[in-house]
Amino acid sequence: MERQAKIYDVIVVGAGHAGCEAAYATAKMGFRTLLLTLNFSNIAFMPCNPSVGGPGKGHLVREVDALGGLIGRVTDLAHLQMRSLNTQKGPAVQALRAQVDKRRYQEIMLEILEREPLIYLRQGEIIDLQRAKGAAVSWRLRLSTGIIVEAPVVILAAGTFFRGTVHIGLTSFLSGPQGQHPSVSLPEKLATEGISFRRFKTGTPARLRRRSLNFDAMKEQPGEETPHGFSFWIPWKPRLQASCWLTYTNERTHEIIRKNLHLAPMYCGAIKGIGTRYCPAIEGKVVNFPNRQRHQVFIEPESAGTDEVYVSGLSSSLPEEIQEEFIRTVPGLERAEIVRPGYAIEYDVVAAEQLTPFLQLKDCPGLFCAGQINGTSGYEEAAAQGIIAGINAALYLKGESPFLPRRDEAYIGVLVDDLITKELDEPYRIMTSFAEFRLSLRQENADLRLAEYGYRYGLLSKDEYGRFLEKKERIQQIQTALEKTAFDPETEAGRKITGQAGVVLKQRISLAQLLQKPGVSFQMLQEAYDELPPVKDEGRVVENQIKYQGYLAREAKMAARLRKMEEKQIPPGFDYNTVPNLSTAAREKLARIAPLTIGQAARISGVGPADLSALLIWLEARIKR
Amino acid sequence: MWEETIAAVATPPGEGGIGVIRISGPQAQAIGKKILRHPSGKTITTWPERKVRLGVVLSSAQKVIDEVIFFFFRAPRSYTGEDVLEIQGHGGQKNLELILSSAMAAGARPAEPGEFTKQAFLNGRIDLAQAEAVIDLITAQTDLAHQAAQEQLSGRLSAYLRQSEERLLAVLAQIEAALDYPEDEIPELDREEAGRTIQEVTEELSVLAEQAEKGRILREAATVVLAGRPNVGKSSLLNRLLDEERAIVTPIPGTTRDFVAEVSNLRGLPVRLVDTAGLRETSDPLEQEGVRRAWGWVEKAELILIVLDAAAGLNTEDEQLIRQVKEKKRVFIVLNKSDLPPRLTAAGLAEKFSGLPVLTVSAVSGEGLEDLQEKIREELVGKEFGRGHPVMVTSLRHKDALERAIRYLQSVTAGLRDGLSEDLLTVDLRAALEALGEITGRTVSDEVIDLIFSQFCVGK
Repeated sequence: MERQAKIYDVIVVGAGHAGCEAAYATAKMGFRTLLLTLNFSNIAFMPCNPSVGGPGKGHLVREVDALGGLIGRVTDLAHLQMRSLNTQKGPAVQALRAQVDKRRYQEIMLEILEREPLIYLRQGEIIDLQRAKGAAVSWRLRLSTGIIVEAPVVILAAGTFFRGTVHIGLTSFLSGPQGQHPSVSLPEKLATEGISFRRFKTGTPARLRRRSLNFDAMKEQPGEETPHGFSFWIPWKPRLQASCWLTYTNERTHEIIRKNLHLAPMYCGAIKGIGTRYCPAIEGKVVNFPNRQRHQVFIEPESAGTDEVYVSGLSSSLPEEIQEEFIRTVPGLERAEIVRPGYAIEYDVVAAEQLTPFLQLKDCPGLFCAGQINGTSGYEEAAAQGIIAGINAALYLKGESPFLPRRDEAYIGVLVDDLITKELDEPYRIMTSFAEFRLSLRQENADLRLAEYGYRYGLLSKDEYGRFLEKKERIQQIQTALEKTAFDPETEAGRKITGQAGVVLKQRISLAQLLQKPGVSFQMLQEAYDELPPVKDEGRVVENQIKYQGYLAREAKMAARLRKMEEKQIPPGFDYNTVPNLSTAAREKLARIAPLTIGQAARISGVGPADLSALLIWLEARIKR
Repeated sequence: MWEETIAAVATPPGEGGIGVIRISGPQAQAIGKKILRHPSGKTITTWPERKVRLGVVLSSAQKVIDEVIFFFFRAPRSYTGEDVLEIQGHGGQKNLELILSSAMAAGARPAEPGEFTKQAFLNGRIDLAQAEAVIDLITAQTDLAHQAAQEQLSGRLSAYLRQSEERLLAVLAQIEAALDYPEDEIPELDREEAGRTIQEVTEELSVLAEQAEKGRILREAATVVLAGRPNVGKSSLLNRLLDEERAIVTPIPGTTRDFVAEVSNLRGLPVRLVDTAGLRETSDPLEQEGVRRAWGWVEKAELILIVLDAAAGLNTEDEQLIRQVKEKKRVFIVLNKSDLPPRLTAAGLAEKFSGLPVLTVSAVSGEGLEDLQEKIREELVGKEFGRGHPVMVTSLRHKDALERAIRYLQSVTAGLRDGLSEDLLTVDLRAALEALGEITGRTVSDEVIDLIFSQFCVGK
C-alpha cells in the first residue's frame, strides 16, 4: 500500500552552506520548507578551513548579505578574527577575511533556522526520488526510515556527499566529509532521471592538538585593531581577536613527501576525480614547484571551545603516519599530535551545463541544484548558489520571472554564469580576475547593487530596507555637497589639504574635482568641511565613485553592450539544426549547453561572431513569423 | 545611448572607379560633421536626407584625403534602419581605407562581417530571404577569412605576436595572482621592470603596425609623387623609371596637368608613379585646379621625389616647396643633370636640407637611375624586405587592433609611472591583450588563469 506522504512546498536536501541559505530564502518568501540533513548535529558544518571571505569570496559574502542571506551575519557573530586584505591594492580587490569559530557558526545558524516558522528541520537519508503521479509536477522522496515526503520543488544541496569516497594513503572507503555518512542511492536515482555527473576531487589537511605545538617557533598573525564586519544589517560587534600563526615547510618536509609519492592516492592512480588548482595538496605543490624551498603553513584556530587547530597549507592524502612524519619537520610542529588526519575526497557533481541560470535542472521542472554539488568549492560559493536557488524556487512556485544578477551586477552573476556556460573541468573557486566588471563590483557597494532585490523578494525586512534607503540618501547628499562646494586653497583648511596631498591648484575647483586627485581622501575633506557628515561607509562609496569614475564609465559602456545581448532570448529547446550557416563546432556546443540568451551564447568558447549573426537573424525571423 | 556606430567599405575590394564607405548608427551625422567639408572648406551645417552632396573628406590631421560624393539617410529610412552616411570616394583600397580610418578616428568602430545586414534585418528593412542570402555570402566569406586567419595563425605573425602576448600575460598574471591570493608568497610587482617590458612590447607592436603599412604597399602598390617646378625633367625621369614613353614631354612649363601611371613593377614592388602638374602658386584657374589635385596626391603618397634641375639652380619657390612637403611626407631630392653647367651640387643640397637624401640622376643618359630605384624600394619597404622579414600585417582590422593595443599599453605605462593601483592597471593591460587576441584568436581570461597556477604556487 502506498504510504501517506508528508507534503511541503519545498524540500531542501542537505543543510550545509547552500542548503541553509536556500531554505531560509524559500521560508522567508512564504513557503513551507523541509530542510533535510543526514546528521542534525552537522548543520552548517565547515569540513575544511575555519575561515570565510578573501578576494572574490568576501565579495560573495557581502552580496549574499546584501540580498538578505545569512552567511555574512553568522560570520560576524561567530568570527575569531577579521582581516582586511589588499588594503594597499585599490578599491576593487579589497576584501574581508574572517577566521570563524566553527562550532559557534553552527550554533548560530541553527538558532536562526529554528526561529523561522516555515522551516522544518529533519534528519534523514533519501534513498528514492520519483516524480509523483498527478497533473502537476511534484517530487516524491523516500527516506531510509520509510518516511515519504513530497513537494513540487526540491533543492539538491548535497555538497560532496554524492558517492563520496575518502582516500587516506592507499586506504579508501565510501564516506562523506569528516567521517560523515555518504549519499549513495540518491545520485543513482537522479541518474535514472537522465542527469549526468562528473567526478571531482578535493581535500583537507590534518587537524592538530593545539597544546602539542610550540608557538614560539612560529610567527604570530594577530587580528586587526579596528576590525570590520561583513553584514550591512546587524550592528557590528568585534569579538576578542584570536591569532593565527605562520610557519614554513622545509627541504626535509618535501623530501619525505617525495619519497612517499607512491603512497599518495593522487599520484599512484587511486584517485580518478579531477582536483582543483585552487587549493592544491602539499603533494601537488612539492611536485609542481620543485624549486620552492619552503611553503607557508598557517595554524588557524577551529573554535574557541576546542583545542583543535587547522593546518592551512598542508592538505594531504598521504597515509596518516606519513602525514605525521612530514608535519613534524615543520618548525613549531615537531611534537604535533594529529587529532584528525588529512584526506582527499572524490564525489559526484552535477554537470552544471544541465542547469538554467536559475539553477534549475533543464529537464526536471522543480528540481534545483546548489552548492558544491554543482562543481564549486568553498562555503561562500555554496552560500551564493543557495540563496539564488532558494529565491528562484520560490519564484517558480509563485509563477513569477526568475532572478539572477547580471555579470555587471554581482559576483554571484559571474559565478553562476560561469558554472552553466563553461563546462567545468575542475572545482570552481571564484576569483576577482573572473569579473570583467571588477571595478564596479566592490565589496563596499554590494548593498547598493543588490539590496533592492533582497527587499523585493522579501528577504530583507521593512526596517532593514528603510535603513538602506537612508544610507542611499546620505550618499546622494554627500555627492551633491562635494559637487556644489567650491574648494578654497587660501583658507587654513585648504592649505592643509593641498599640503597633505601635495596638489597644486591653478583654478578653482569643486570638492568633487579635488577628490579625484591622487592623495586626496574623503576623510581629509570631511575633517575640513562641515557640509560633509562624518560617515565612513558612505564616504568610502562616494570616494570610490568619484575617484574611479572614468573606469566605471568604461565598464558601464561595456555592460550596456552586454545587456543588449542578454536581452535577446533563445527559446528553450531551440533546435540548432534548423539554423543554416552555423559552424559545426558552434552547433554542437550550443546544443549541449543550450544558452538562454545570445549574450550567454557569445561567452561559449568556439561560438564566433558569424555564428551569432546567423543565430540572431534566424531567431528574429521566427519571432516575426 | 551607448549604441555604437559602425563603418566599413561597402564595395567589394579591388580597383573600382568608385568605392563606398558606409557609416551606420546614431553617431553617423556627428562623424560626418567631423570628417566632411564643403569643397570650399566650409563646415557642413545642413544634412538633408537622401540628397547627393559634394564634399571633401578630411583626415584626422585635417588634411584633404579625397573629393567625394555623400548621401545622408535618416533613421529609419536607410539600409540598416539607423542613421546612415554613405561616402562615395575614388576607388582604390588605399583611398577608401584612409577615409575609413578617418571615420574610425572620429568615433566609428569597424563593422563586423554581416553587421550592416544584421542591423537592416533587425530593424525590419530587409526580409528573411534577403537576410539569409546575405548571411550565406558572409558565412562563405568568413570561412575564407577564417582560412586566411588560420594560415596567419600558423604563420609567423602569430608567433611574433605570441611572444608579445606572453610577456604581457606574465605581467598580468603576476598582478592578478597577487590580487587574488594576497596571503601567498607572490613577489611584489616590480613597476620599473614591468614598465620596461611594456615599453619593449609597445615598440615591437609599433614596428608591426608600421609593417602593416608595408604589407599594404605590397598588396596595393605604393604611390610615389614626382614634384618640382615645371620643366625640370619630371616627365623624362618618369619615363625613364617606367621605361616607356608615357608622359608628354614638352619644354613649355605647365604642360603636364596630371599624369598617373599604371601600377608598374619597381624592382619587385608594385609602385604607382604620379607626375603632378607642379605644386606652385598660379592664377590660371585651370592650373589652380591642377595644383590642388597635386597636393591631394602628396597627401596620399608614400614618398615624394622633388626633382630639381642642376643647371637651373634653387629659387625660393623650390625651397618653399621642399620645406612644405617634407613637413608631411618622406622626401627625396632628385638632382637631374642636364647638359648645361651645374649650379647645384648634391653636397650643397644635402647641407642645406639636412636629413633629406639627395640623389643625382641623369634622365637623359640614365645615369644614377638604378641607385634611385634601389633607394626608393628601400624607403618604401626597408632593406630587409623580401629577404625574410619576420611578419606581415595586411588587414586594416589587424592594423586597427595593433594600434588599439599600442594605445592601451601607453596608458599602462603612464599608470605604472603615476602609481596607479594594480586593479586599475589591469584594465588597460587586459584591453591591450584583448586587442591582440582579435588577431591571434586567443582569450585572455583563460590564459591568465592558467598562467597564475603554473607560475605561482598559490592556494592552500
